[in-house]
Amino acid sequence: MPNPLVNLVPGNPSALEAALANRPELLSHYRSFYLKLWHGGLVPVRVLELCRLRIAFIHGATAELAVRHRQAGVADLERDALARMDFSVFSDAEQAALTLAELMPHQHHAIDDAQVDRVRQLFGESGTVNLLAALAFFDVTSRLKLVWALPEEGLEFDGTKLV
Amino acid sequence: MSSKPRLSSALDGQAPDFGSVTAHAADLMGHFFALYGEFWQNGVVAPQLKELVRLRNARVTDCGY
Repeated sequence: MPNPLVNLVPGNPSALEAALANRPELLSHYRSFYLKLWHGGLVPVRVLELCRLRIAFIHGATAELAVRHRQAGVADLERDALARMDFSVFSDAEQAALTLAELMPHQHHAIDDAQVDRVRQLFGESGTVNLLAALAFFDVTSRLKLVWALPEEGLEFDGTKLV
Repeated sequence: MSSKPRLSSALDGQAPDFGSVTAHAADLMGHFFALYGEFWQNGVVAPQLKELVRLRNARVTDCGY
């Protein structure tokens, strides 16, 4: 059965853009903020992609896991490691970010001072603000795709639109 | 959960709070506040209902801030 949330937009937008287009101004602001999270230059894109994938695995968000982001350079073996929560193959900075990503969706009260301090040392205060905001919105995006029952499209994220 | 702010204020003379801490990434957060403002100021859901949902969400996530 077609998803009524995604039938309102002409052309060929992603399901997420089509759903948000029910509120065009909301789509515009959501897109601007989300793309800035990725390309503000404060946190490496690869770190963000690892965190996005791990949060999607935690939620079992298959529509989010189907999104591809080749530019981030995450290999299939690394993706498999994320799926089984094996962070040992990643760098210290990536592990520090993934530690927070692991806790953000359901265990945010378990995040401790040392974990945040480690991230602050590695990414600076501006990078930490960017990373934590990104984790929150990766969580939001997985949740929206699940609640809205968006399909697995397998689209490439190229930094110009929501997928 | 810590009882003290984990990040400093980016604004001289201002205590750490959501606005002053996130000001470390002011360009990024400008986009966030535009989005958040859109949530609140427009749309078909009544502001009173949005506030009820916000408060319930804060309770569920145990966020006293």
